Amino acid sequence: MSIMRLFFNESIKRGLVQLVRRQLYWLVMIVAPILCAIFLLELMKAGTIHRVPVGIVDLDNSMVSRRIERNLMGMQQVDIVDHYTDYRAALDAVQRGDIYGFILIPDRLEHKALSGQEPVVSYYVNYAYFPPASIQYKGFKTITMLANGAIAKTTLDATGLLTDRGVMTLLQPILTQVHSLNNPWLNYSYYLNMSFIPCLLALFIMLTTTFSIGTELKYGTCREWIDSAGRSIEFVLFGKLTPHTFIFTCTGWMIQFLMYRVYGLPLNCNPWHMILAMPLFVLANQGFALTMMCIAPNFRYGTTLCTLLGMLSFSFCGFSLPAEAMYPWVHALGCVVPIKYYFLLSIDQALNGIPFYYSRLYYVALIAFIAAPWPLLWRLKRECINPVYVP
Amino acid sequence: MSDRRNNPVVRWFYDLFRVWKREIWFSFHDEGVIIFFLVLCLVYPVLYALIYNPETAHDVAVVVVDEDRSSDSRQFARALDATPEVCVVQYASSIEEARRALNDKQCYGIIRFAGGYGRTIHRGEQAHVEVYCDMGLMFRYKQILIAVTNVQQAFNSQLLHQRLSVVPVNISPGTINNEQVALGNTSMGLASAILPAIFILVLQQSMLLGICMLHGGSRERRLHNQGVDPLEIPAGVAASILGKSLCYWMIYIIPTVYTLVIAPKFFDFPQVGDLRSILVLALPFLLASSFMGQAMKIFVNDRESTFIALVFTSVIFVFLSGISWPRCSMSPLWLIVGNFIPSTWAVNAYVQMQSGGATLEQQSTAYFMLWVLTGVMFVLAYVVERFICRRRYRRMRHYAKRDPLALIREEYRRQAIDILPERINQADFGVPAGLTEAPSDD
Repeated sequence: MSIMRLFFNESIKRGLVQLVRRQLYWLVMIVAPILCAIFLLELMKAGTIHRVPVGIVDLDNSMVSRRIERNLMGMQQVDIVDHYTDYRAALDAVQRGDIYGFILIPDRLEHKALSGQEPVVSYYVNYAYFPPASIQYKGFKTITMLANGAIAKTTLDATGLLTDRGVMTLLQPILTQVHSLNNPWLNYSYYLNMSFIPCLLALFIMLTTTFSIGTELKYGTCREWIDSAGRSIEFVLFGKLTPHTFIFTCTGWMIQFLMYRVYGLPLNCNPWHMILAMPLFVLANQGFALTMMCIAPNFRYGTTLCTLLGMLSFSFCGFSLPAEAMYPWVHALGCVVPIKYYFLLSIDQALNGIPFYYSRLYYVALIAFIAAPWPLLWRLKRECINPVYVP
Repeated sequence: MSDRRNNPVVRWFYDLFRVWKREIWFSFHDEGVIIFFLVLCLVYPVLYALIYNPETAHDVAVVVVDEDRSSDSRQFARALDATPEVCVVQYASSIEEARRALNDKQCYGIIRFAGGYGRTIHRGEQAHVEVYCDMGLMFRYKQILIAVTNVQQAFNSQLLHQRLSVVPVNISPGTINNEQVALGNTSMGLASAILPAIFILVLQQSMLLGICMLHGGSRERRLHNQGVDPLEIPAGVAASILGKSLCYWMIYIIPTVYTLVIAPKFFDFPQVGDLRSILVLALPFLLASSFMGQAMKIFVNDRESTFIALVFTSVIFVFLSGISWPRCSMSPLWLIVGNFIPSTWAVNAYVQMQSGGATLEQQSTAYFMLWVLTGVMFVLAYVVERFICRRRYRRMRHYAKRDPLALIREEYRRQAIDILPERINQADFGVPAGLTEAPSDD
């Protein structure tokens, strides 16, 4: 028993000493993840994009066109920064990047509308910038619909057949009431930071894990490393990775505190769900990185694998495009990284606050990642005893 | 010949040429660097394009709760099912049952018709359709919203004509039609919007990673050789930086043409930009990136710490470029930070040119700023090389003079091994086998 304790103490001591002696660890375990989280949260603090700079080309200059313009100016979504004399000038401004789009009011709009000739108001939106384009679309669409409604209402009012309310129900017999559950403001930060910040943290955890094991292989210290705990790969890994787990968990809690308390992201479940999910998430990522190191027990290959999957998981885990819409192989690839399950779990728990039962499989998946490297550890052990450095 | 080499100007150019030549040799003899410089640029654009190629989501699953059970509600639900955006997967008897399906991820939205829906319509009153959307992903919400709005509009105009036809007098309310025209990314897809930015980022980041890895290799050689890199060409600071940049810039001609011009063709991304203008834009962008890489090498101590210290910056740079969260909504602080990154200007100019058909003249601000950044980054790289790196090397040589194993001992100390093992020799760590001997020079 005492020899076990000696191995245990020795490996923990080594793990801690290494952490203290390389400043890089502190940078990537505490400073960088928290700074990145603050950057993303601060960047999207406003929540929704508003006052997108747009232009207007008014060829009509009538009362109706000016009313459209005034209404547009009163909207939160867009901000008219300039008037252009014709289409070419406005397009030039879009291509220069001064405005993200413009609305074109055709000649003799009022006249045509009142005489039933159905004029077309067109809006030109630069979809090369996707989020502001969606916002503009919403603003322009609303304004043109309102203008349309106003003209129709004027005509119908003139008939004197209907009451004010009657006109409204006549124009819109069916009304849809869209409820965006748990994010009624359509806050972009709620949606994006829920996935991107943990994904960045996962990247740091995976790279730190592979780096700390890889340096032993690289500098040829792995033999001393594994000998320090009686050639038990489990002990040395425990000693090396437990301090990481502890620090990363604290960093993760700090990030959760920033997200849910300071920046007010929705936390509709019992906070303990998320607090306890964090150590699980850290361990799962360490398990994943360890598995990669066991599959390719070589510093560069292991790191490259983790970097590749870590960077691509921003895309293939379905944070923006739904997973079911992707090619099946991309969807499948998204299922092999732990971040996917933490992301689904945080949507279930933090955003929607649904019963624990519905997220049970995600917890199981995270635990499976912790268990995954065990059957493969012999490969890493073999490499440690007979290291071959491939640059 | 030797007389001419003593001329300082000729000497300077000669040094620059030798640095350039040696750096090319390094780049093509280091597997890790080849992966960054060439393989990464070749593979990443294709990989990203494949991930985002579906562009949009079809048939988002929704559940209908029909408490009215009239022909009107059924008609609405059928029309919804027929849209490309939404698919009705189930009819639930109550909102609780639908809620359970939502929790179980069998669907991502609930459509509810309250009792009396059909009767309200036929009474000439306003009927309501309730839509509940899961907000885990904005994209699904958007698809459900589009489908519901389109169906609602179709039904409304149909009902309007029906109702007006019973009114005894002939009235046709004047209408203003509206039409959306997509500029730039005419397919309005996610991939075509995001990928041009990613292409630029891939070029910049792969270059930074490669440069830092080369620097890490050089530092490792110094550890074994008493603080001296035997393969390095002794040259002045400016000649060394410029020679290296010239080398990276030349290597990047092929990845640039491939990533910015050929890769968009594979997936039919917007490509209306003028080839020459794009290449002219890439010139200052690549130079600025190469100087930036040489400035960022202070964060890297060995080849592999490149990954851990630099990879995450890609995500930050993507956001700073304003392709996801627009620059018009950024606070001044982030605008200023973004202005110092070459990719910010290059992304916006490239997107406008390749997607929107802008000319280089229309993007002259970005082009000008890229040249300014080239200057700024050069000064930064100069300061880093002269006042930080070269000082470090001097210190290393100083320690090594007192104890030849001092540097290796320090590296081992960091690995928590305080007493050097017997078997330490210089060959067994760090330096790739191919990179221990210098090529014959001149």
